[in-house]
Amino acid sequence: MKRATVLLVLGLLLLAPPGARAQQPYYAGKTIELIVPFGPGGGTDIEARFMAPYFEKHIPGNPRFVIRNMPGGGSILGANWFAQNAKPDGLTLLATSGSTIIPYILGVSQVRYDFAKWKLVKVNGVGGVVYVSPRTGITKAADILRPQVPLVYGGISAVGLDLTTLLLFEVLGMNVRVVMGFEGRGPARLAFERGETTIDYQTTPAYLTQVVPLIREGKAVAVMSMGFVNDRGQMVRDPAAPDLPTPYEVYQTLHNRKPDGLLRWKAYQAAVAASFSYQKAFWAPEGTPDEALRALREAIDRMKRDPAFRQEAQKILEGYEVFRGDQGEAAVHRSMRITLDVKKYIVDLVTGKYSARL
Amino acid sequence: MNEALSAALALFLDPSRLSMMLLGVAVGLVVGVLPGMGGIVSVAILLPFITRLDPAASLAMITGSLAVVHTSDTITSVLIGAPGSAAAVPTMIEGHPLARQGQAARALSAAYAASLVGGLIGALGLTLSIPIARPLVLSFGSPELFMLTVLGVSYAGSLLGKEARRGILAGLLGLLLGAVGPAPAAAEVRFAFDQVYLTDGLDLAIVALGLFGVAEVVGLLARGGAVAETTDLGRGWLQGLRDVVQHRWLVLRGALIGMWAGVLPALGATAGTLMAYGHVVSSSRDRSRFGKGDIRGIIAPEAANNAVEAGDLIPTLLFSVPGSAPTAIILGALLAYGIVPGPRIVTDHLDLVYTIVWSFAAANFIGAGIMFAASPVLARAASVPFDRLAPAVLLAMVLASYQETRHFGDILTLLALGLVGYAMKVTGWPRAPMLIGFVLAGPLERYYFLTINLYQHPTDWLLRPGVVVLAALLVAPFAWGAVRAVRERAAGRPPAAAARPGFRPVTLFSLLVLAVFAAAALVAREFLPGAALMPLSVAAVGAVLAAAQLAQELRGRAGFTVDDEGDAALTRPEALRRAAWLLAGLCGYAGSIWLVGMRAASGVWVLGFLLGVARVRPTAALLYTAAALAGAEVLSRVLGVRLPPGALLR
Repeated sequence: MKRATVLLVLGLLLLAPPGARAQQPYYAGKTIELIVPFGPGGGTDIEARFMAPYFEKHIPGNPRFVIRNMPGGGSILGANWFAQNAKPDGLTLLATSGSTIIPYILGVSQVRYDFAKWKLVKVNGVGGVVYVSPRTGITKAADILRPQVPLVYGGISAVGLDLTTLLLFEVLGMNVRVVMGFEGRGPARLAFERGETTIDYQTTPAYLTQVVPLIREGKAVAVMSMGFVNDRGQMVRDPAAPDLPTPYEVYQTLHNRKPDGLLRWKAYQAAVAASFSYQKAFWAPEGTPDEALRALREAIDRMKRDPAFRQEAQKILEGYEVFRGDQGEAAVHRSMRITLDVKKYIVDLVTGKYSARL
Repeated sequence: MNEALSAALALFLDPSRLSMMLLGVAVGLVVGVLPGMGGIVSVAILLPFITRLDPAASLAMITGSLAVVHTSDTITSVLIGAPGSAAAVPTMIEGHPLARQGQAARALSAAYAASLVGGLIGALGLTLSIPIARPLVLSFGSPELFMLTVLGVSYAGSLLGKEARRGILAGLLGLLLGAVGPAPAAAEVRFAFDQVYLTDGLDLAIVALGLFGVAEVVGLLARGGAVAETTDLGRGWLQGLRDVVQHRWLVLRGALIGMWAGVLPALGATAGTLMAYGHVVSSSRDRSRFGKGDIRGIIAPEAANNAVEAGDLIPTLLFSVPGSAPTAIILGALLAYGIVPGPRIVTDHLDLVYTIVWSFAAANFIGAGIMFAASPVLARAASVPFDRLAPAVLLAMVLASYQETRHFGDILTLLALGLVGYAMKVTGWPRAPMLIGFVLAGPLERYYFLTINLYQHPTDWLLRPGVVVLAALLVAPFAWGAVRAVRERAAGRPPAAAARPGFRPVTLFSLLVLAVFAAAALVAREFLPGAALMPLSVAAVGAVLAAAQLAQELRGRAGFTVDDEGDAALTRPEALRRAAWLLAGLCGYAGSIWLVGMRAASGVWVLGFLLGVARVRPTAALLYTAAALAGAEVLSRVLGVRLPPGALLR
């Protein structure tokens, strides 16, 4: 009797289809290539390199995860290449940042990619803080419309990440002289320290490490954060600067009503969401098999539970949460789909007041 | 502070740190030898190691490769005339003629001795200035930075050679070339003609490689033979060392200029090296040998470009603002370790700061030391008939260009600038001012607009003490030159001999230059005001000067003093014919890369060149080709570059 059972079991095992016996994870023995459309050493690149070993560890099958830099055109070249060449097999992914999103939203002619066609793997954001020189006499947000010296802001380009700041000035009705031409936010911060500009913003990592010491020395005053748009489309306080008011709150303080429904508010919120709250994303091309996407997204969950990742994430992600693609995809796509009236408002502002050519 | 110093020493004597630093040095030296590659490439190769090492070890490694960024690029500059990097161009201009005269060992040893000392001065300066650097850097506002770039451009004036007008025109052409891409102060992309590739502007490495590298290679091939026709090339090694001792104050001045170029955000390694070169030329009484092999033109720039990287570390460490692409990676690595650059780094992480400083000094010493000891051996490469070396050199240059943007435009730019560079070489137009114009175009325009927009009244900035001092530095050489010219005229110097009037083929180039300026002016009229100012004024002045030049050439009043005796040989008919075929061949090579991809095209062309031009035996040619292709394959894997596949095969 026992021998018959054993033979039966053996026979069934032999007859069973090979796949059912041992399911190989999708990514076993494979290599994932992440295209970073920026040069090495930049924020997007460093974050990607920091996350790479955790992807290797937590994606079932432990594929290799390598970075390939493709700089050019402010990330447009790399994104274009990805849109045209990436095979939908889950082995090629793209890392994007705010400078990939803004030209897309503005409809710049060199953009040949469409975020709507891509599948989100992960997204995390960054915040910003606006601060002023003590010479302006501003001590709290309510004072920003009445500075004692003119507000002078140093920017890089009206069609880059500064766009969000410009929209902030518009929404609050601030009178700011904008001087474009700085090479980056770093040099712009130096200009503030030298006294050449009187208002500046920095992303929260730079704010916390470089500006807070200035504030302690009495050389700068923090006024407000840029605000953070959550997945329900509401503006909430920035988790890295929770004691600073958001522009939503500042508007209420200044004008005694909520800004919802105002065209310029919709424009500002769209810009903050797309270029800050959902700034750093990894994408897979349209048609990537569900199995691959699942593996990638589950790796994010595992990563977040990994104590080693959590410890290092504090330095790289500055306490902002990483969202898996399926959790964030709807919100991210929504944030990029700005309505025609908002787009027209933004384009008119950029080409009119700031004389840009798109 | 003492324990910080000794802590750093202890860290440093730890074998794992030391070996990581040596790895960085090795990668930096090897990568730097290849023309067009260095700096960012070697650091990028080391990037994957960063996440697996602890902070001190990985910083030692990256700093090690950063320190030798401008050490091994001297080799191809001197021996082959292909600048290892844009910052090696002055070394090439002076060192390559020396190699042709059989003094390659002298040029190399002088370069390395100057590099070594310059780098050490840089490390010393870095250590000493950390306490005072912050207020010093902050005292340089936009007006001071603007004056500094104007000063840099003015140094181009001393590189004009005997005919100031063509030098100025070359500089203006460089400015125009630098205007391609995003305008610094207005949201407009200029001169891109709807090509996405051009929306970022032209890449400095490719411009330098094309203008100087490709042009020199074609020139050497057209002339035929080896780089140096004399034997006994090991001679001169000690002479180079003696030269550096003799000109030791020049080493110091070069290093200081280099350090400042690194510290200030406006300038970079190339600008600093070119400024050091311009300074040494303008401050020399006897300028007759510059361009023909003046050892001083190697010593000052080489000291400068090793000190520049030390200077670059200051804004990176103290302000969290990277001074250059390699230091941007250092910054990223520091942030990834949770080490925050800024004023606190001096108090919180002084030991790491000193690890970086010591690694820099030691790497400089070791790297330059190794190269210095190897100079006599390396110099023998100058005796190899150049057509044996040429295919590998060209392949390396094409690969180096391609890895800038991994776009076929890289190869086209290299080719186009190679053609222009060769034309300038043969017609005696100076190219160094063009490079200066290109490098400084961006900062010049940027700081001009920042100055006039941040300081609304001219008196707000013109009277700043820093501006006044820099203006004095600016005007002084011109004033001195004017005084000297008046004295010379009073002494009754004879005017230059008149040349024959009429139209010569050479005049075609001047006509082309005029056409370029006229076309640029027409296109620039459509730009936004903030974007049009610079290109329009450059094109307008350029058109006027070019017309004057053309008129003078047709009337026969313009002298055509070709600086280098070697270059004069290039104007002979048979050399011109060879050059024409070579350039046509290069165009064919580029075209076939586009059609069938880099591997196939390179295989065909290298083999064809070896068999047809170099007349190498078939078996040797096949081996060479296989080795060259294998080398390209290894390099591209290591760099993470996918070689272009070719349109037909896609």
